[in-house]
Amino acid sequence: MLPAFKLLEPNTIEEACRIALDTDGMFLAGATDIFVAMHGGALFPETLISLAKIDALRDIRKTDQGIFIGALTPHRYFEFNQVMKTRYTAIHEGCAQVGSPQIRNRGTIGGNLCNGAPSADSAGPLLVFDAVCVIVGAAYERTLPLREFYLGPKKTALRKGELLKSIYLPEPVSRSASRYIKFTRRNAMDLALLGVSAYLALDDSGGIADARLALTTAGPTPIRAGEAERRLIGHKPCDSLFSEAAAIAENESLPRTSWRSSKEFRLKLVKSLTEKALREAFERI
Amino acid sequence: MDWRDVTVYVNGDEYTKTIPVQMTLAEFLRDELFLTGTKIGCNEGECGACTVILDGVAVNSCLVLAVHADGKNVLTIEGVSEGELHPLQQAFLDAGAVQCGFCTPGMIMTAKALLDRDPAPSREVIRKEIEGNLCRCTGYNRIIDAVEKAALMLQKR
Repeated sequence: MLPAFKLLEPNTIEEACRIALDTDGMFLAGATDIFVAMHGGALFPETLISLAKIDALRDIRKTDQGIFIGALTPHRYFEFNQVMKTRYTAIHEGCAQVGSPQIRNRGTIGGNLCNGAPSADSAGPLLVFDAVCVIVGAAYERTLPLREFYLGPKKTALRKGELLKSIYLPEPVSRSASRYIKFTRRNAMDLALLGVSAYLALDDSGGIADARLALTTAGPTPIRAGEAERRLIGHKPCDSLFSEAAAIAENESLPRTSWRSSKEFRLKLVKSLTEKALREAFERI
Repeated sequence: MDWRDVTVYVNGDEYTKTIPVQMTLAEFLRDELFLTGTKIGCNEGECGACTVILDGVAVNSCLVLAVHADGKNVLTIEGVSEGELHPLQQAFLDAGAVQCGFCTPGMIMTAKALLDRDPAPSREVIRKEIEGNLCRCTGYNRIIDAVEKAALMLQKR
């Protein structure tokens, strides 16, 4: 059995936020991270606030400009949904590579972000689609670009009593495509040694109108490689340009050495995978 | 301890029990209902031996609270046969996909969830779908053979 805890199961977002304000309870979504840590003796929460009964956190709502996706939406949705496959391809590729089908059926997009891991497979792809976090407190709602959501390893901008309600994804422009490459030691059930997400949009003359790059496990948090993006915008896409941008991305990253990989190897990966991700995103347009 | 009353529908039968909240679904099935076909291997979502089908989707029952199965349908290995062996069970035997057998119940539940959704998956799709089920005996090829065989048997029905 899991270490003993008190289970609270609020029915509404407001109730959940109020409980989080008044207790030291921890929010529980798909449990695929929290229970692993609890089974392993690394986490002993006194109170868990289960979000399972709050259906509002599963809402998916399309608007003219984009789509709101409830924080409790499981990875499996992004793996199978046609709009995700065709319009938000990198997000589809990221979520389809989380753990296993069993994990993807339970694990949620909100949990993947709030867990704060620098290796989160959904984080990089969401960053290149300029995702916005919709955050709720007991009596208010605020929005925050995902770029500003991560403060450090396992640290997010969520304050006590706040909950990630949904992710807003702006509609990508028509001549655009994306690619997520996850580098792992084996093909399944592994965390990214390094992840690169690329998004490219072309103008009418075939030049790069917009370029976005995100790196995961290349620093204490998932990051955007802003300098490399600026090098790309306004130029004609070609291999030498992609290679130059990749070298800039390598300079922008701050990976560390862990048991999974050395810092030096991760830097080499940033260079080669960024080139590859840009090339393959471009080929998809 | 924090206790709850739950009613879970397992393999079509209704069970009502009073259980502590920290009990996992895997423990509920094995220790409360004595349905020991569901195996506990790693107890942290890596090995897939505890896979069951919860409201139509495959989950690691070691990472689901039993109280979160309240009011839901659970299908375990004990519930897949319909009088005679299910085509997946028969195909696993025919293809030599069972060696020590510890991974087999979880493997079959994952495969069943796949075939319920996609009746004619490619070998590549099967291989990807069983990525969360470890087998240390067979080398996986015969398991993939078995799932393909079962898919054909089910299509002929």
